[in-house]
Amino acid sequence: MKVGIRYFALVAEVAGREGETLELAAGATVADALQRVTEQYPRLAAAGFRPLVAVNRRHAGEDSSLAEGDELAVFPPVSGG
Amino acid sequence: MRPIYRMVSEPIAPEEVIREVTSRADGAIATFAGVVRDHHRERQVDHLEYHAYPEMAAEELERIAVELGTRYGVSGLGLVHRTGTLAVGEMAVLVVAAAPHRREALDCCAAAIEAIKSRLPVWKKEFFAGTTEPEWVFGPEELCASGAEQSRVEGSGSGG
Repeated sequence: MKVGIRYFALVAEVAGREGETLELAAGATVADALQRVTEQYPRLAAAGFRPLVAVNRRHAGEDSSLAEGDELAVFPPVSGG
Repeated sequence: MRPIYRMVSEPIAPEEVIREVTSRADGAIATFAGVVRDHHRERQVDHLEYHAYPEMAAEELERIAVELGTRYGVSGLGLVHRTGTLAVGEMAVLVVAAAPHRREALDCCAAAIEAIKSRLPVWKKEFFAGTTEPEWVFGPEELCASGAEQSRVEGSGSGG
């Protein structure tokens, strides 16, 4: 299945892009998507944080399952306010 | 309960937000403003950049305003967060809680800024005086994990 993925802040800088499409196996979870991203951008592991993920504009845990067409976002721990 | 929530890229006007949030039945208005300070640890800050995931920030700000305004029983709750380049002294975030009495307003105001800091998809980048490289600020992961958990548990619909 295909999901869209967007990167923000330092994650976007390390990945060198703001987003892309990911092809995942049916039944994939957020953890699977995160694993793919960290394999693709190994410098993320050295960034000093575990990235957070949102699915369809809500914070999501790593065990959340994904569906075709979902919008994922991967980003550092937030620092607004 | 009157929730007011917006992400802006222009300077925040507190009096305007107070007017929108408050009614004649309110005897208490509790406000919090987060402003850019001139130092971070030992270093002199020149300015900050606030970056957001705009679509999610707008939705999450609404969720926070509705959830907390309802939970604390205030009559109005206004949340405004600014993005873009901010100079020292400029306001990045404003929380206004209005209620007939002060307890609800003060407690709601305090809870709202904590929720914004743990849940809102916004990141700040610090630019220092002199030639030091700018640095992203990360929130502490444990804070974000609990904020994210709270967001998932309280929200309805998909994504969690």
